[in-house]
Amino acid sequence: MPDSSVPVGLGEIKVSRDPEVVLVAYGLGSCVGVGAYDPVARVAGMLHAVLPERTNGTDPLSGKFVDSGIRALLKALEQLGATRHQLIIRIAGGANMLQAPGFKQTFNIGDRNVSATRATLATLGLPIRAEAVGGQTGRTVRLMAASGRMTVRVLGAGEIEL
Amino acid sequence: MNKPSENANNQPEITGLLVQMAEAGVTRAAAGLAGMLGQKVTVTQPNVRLMPLAEVPGVLGGPEQEAVGIYLQAVGELSGQIMLILPLAKAMELVDLLLDVEPGSTQALGSLERSALAEVGNITGTFFLNAVAAACGLHSRPSPPAVMVDMVGAILDIIVAMSAGVSETVLVIEAAFLRDDREVEAHFWVIPDNAALQGLAGAAGSNAR
Repeated sequence: MPDSSVPVGLGEIKVSRDPEVVLVAYGLGSCVGVGAYDPVARVAGMLHAVLPERTNGTDPLSGKFVDSGIRALLKALEQLGATRHQLIIRIAGGANMLQAPGFKQTFNIGDRNVSATRATLATLGLPIRAEAVGGQTGRTVRLMAASGRMTVRVLGAGEIEL
Repeated sequence: MNKPSENANNQPEITGLLVQMAEAGVTRAAAGLAGMLGQKVTVTQPNVRLMPLAEVPGVLGGPEQEAVGIYLQAVGELSGQIMLILPLAKAMELVDLLLDVEPGSTQALGSLERSALAEVGNITGTFFLNAVAAACGLHSRPSPPAVMVDMVGAILDIIVAMSAGVSETVLVIEAAFLRDDREVEAHFWVIPDNAALQGLAGAAGSNAR
């Protein structure tokens, strides 16, 4: 399959209308990956957010945070010709990596990231088509710009369609 | 020349102190492991450096690589996070060594194997923090360790999420533990938080005087 993988690193937002591009967020743990695809304009975008809410004084379009990152993702997609209400949105990640006693309180970042993702999308009136969130395992997500297919891979299991 | 700085943010001075403490800490950790195993364990000259967090997955074979993370928090006068991370195959070699079985015996990480690895975290964390205390007088103790097996990227998310906006650079210690003819390489990542760095800077200043 002729494709070129474009990694979406921590706190990054990548968009593309190149049909050969596959956007990939590798090894999402507590981080959340948000994939958005406009099937009409054939524009794909992905966000790899680290924390739920933007803190004061940070870039209002920072990809590091779920709330600002989703807005920045939408803006970048629209600049490539996507229409907001045509977007198919799928989310993955937000695992709780640490289960040891004593850490739980500190490490509900995965849950908080997922809640923030749902809340931000709800505020913007954008439905979530599919999700693979929570649990205790890391995930790699791929979004194919050609077809809009999105897949999730977990260690020890195959790649599944989202 | 090279007059000790009064500036609490003097980066090279902190780095120098961190490197010195890391070397002492790893050596002491090997002594701790030797005590646990009842056999002589030595450690190769550790390689210590500061590295941007974003470059860490590359060193470990990529963010999707399967690895074992042993995580502790330092609590006390010096606060921070300590992550001992090693590729899955290396972790199994380390377990073989710890449980004193033939190399290649460990094929999966069950509860026994995980507690052996947790103990490594305990010992290395304690000895490392003791070395820090000896070097600069800041006392802290490690939390109980958590052991996880997952993709490198997912394991590192813990550090990233806890230190976001604070530490973009991590102190990396690469060392190999040797016992007889067996050798296991491990990476430690130590991420002191901002308050800890200030404390270390102060200690660096007073040590230099």
